[in-house]
Amino acid sequence: MMRALVLFAHPCAESFSAALHACVVDTLHRRGWQVDDCDLYAEGFAPVLTAEERRGYHTLPDNTAPVADHVARLRAAQALVLVCPIWNYGFPAILKGYLDRVFLPGVSFRLEQGVVKPALTHIRKLAAVTTYGGSRFKTFLAGDPPRHVVRRALWGVTRPEKLRYLALHDMNRATQAQRSAFLARVTTEMERL
Amino acid sequence: MRALVVYCHPDPASFTAAIRDLVLEKLAQAGAEVRLLDLYARGFAPALTQPEWQGYLASPDNTAPVAEDVAALRWCDTLIFVYPTWWYGLPAMLKGWLDRVLLPDVAFLMPDGANRTIRPGLHHITRLGVFTTGGASRLLTFFIGAPGKRTLLRGVGLLCHPRKKTAFAMHYLMDSSTPESRARHLARVARKMNRLTGARAPMPQQARA
Repeated sequence: MMRALVLFAHPCAESFSAALHACVVDTLHRRGWQVDDCDLYAEGFAPVLTAEERRGYHTLPDNTAPVADHVARLRAAQALVLVCPIWNYGFPAILKGYLDRVFLPGVSFRLEQGVVKPALTHIRKLAAVTTYGGSRFKTFLAGDPPRHVVRRALWGVTRPEKLRYLALHDMNRATQAQRSAFLARVTTEMERL
Repeated sequence: MRALVVYCHPDPASFTAAIRDLVLEKLAQAGAEVRLLDLYARGFAPALTQPEWQGYLASPDNTAPVAEDVAALRWCDTLIFVYPTWWYGLPAMLKGWLDRVLLPDVAFLMPDGANRTIRPGLHHITRLGVFTTGGASRLLTFFIGAPGKRTLLRGVGLLCHPRKKTAFAMHYLMDSSTPESRARHLARVARKMNRLTGARAPMPQQARA
């Protein structure tokens, strides 16, 4: 069975992000995926890369020891789905810290004769489900950093067959109808994944 | 000039610490009053908590968990970030500083009856500096779209004074840096700091109500 790792980053169960998270997990289950549901807040993930980790960052394979469990879960996945709000034009710190601490040399990329090679090519499907407070125009002005991280940086280490970046803008003024439409879109996209 | 320096690196012996020291020296030369926030030294907790999110909009109580940081942000007219670029972006600890400190009625004003959109709240900040290092090359960083630089210069920059002065310098390919490349970079940072502190910045504006 195909495994999907869902990374969810929101502190509150009553949030719209939590509804999107439930929708993603349910839909993937229904479509026959084995879902590894990683709720970073609920699991109490520590996002801060420590001084020891920084000093040993390039020391393979010991660099994975502090996050061995997360590395194993990432390596077992054929799909990776991020579900999170966008705060200040970026991922919540707890998710950024996941990239800092788990996407290590030897895990996300490796050096072969001085050339960087992607190391997460077992991930064939990559998706992000996000909500923005800012309007589409403000997000464009700011250069939309999280979209670039997913579409270019994460794409670069996974080289997936399929990549989807789903975003609901202007969350604070979104109507019930807009939210429902976005949930329906997320359901459809997850079914097709 | 009132300068707030937000510094984020776990290792006191790092090159980033040398950049911080140079920035502080340049600010002292310019006669600035300086406040330094050393996030790792303070053990800053980056994850916005459930109570914080539930009280996110409840100004002014929303500032209580990060009162010192908010006071410094309101006090300064010059804001400088010094950090390493990890995964093309800010270290989680610095990203979390933005998440927890750039609050409604501090950094921006939420939509209300008279205003349809979010409005900037940091118009008193007239100088913005970003000094960083990264493992990637300049070309790769450009291709990825420099998310860290955009988050600060554009994301935070949109909240600051519209005619603010900005400075940016990054040492690329940090893992193959040499004593010469690091010295060249420090000279670049010194030039950028001279220009930033010497420039005629616009008069600070109060946030629109």
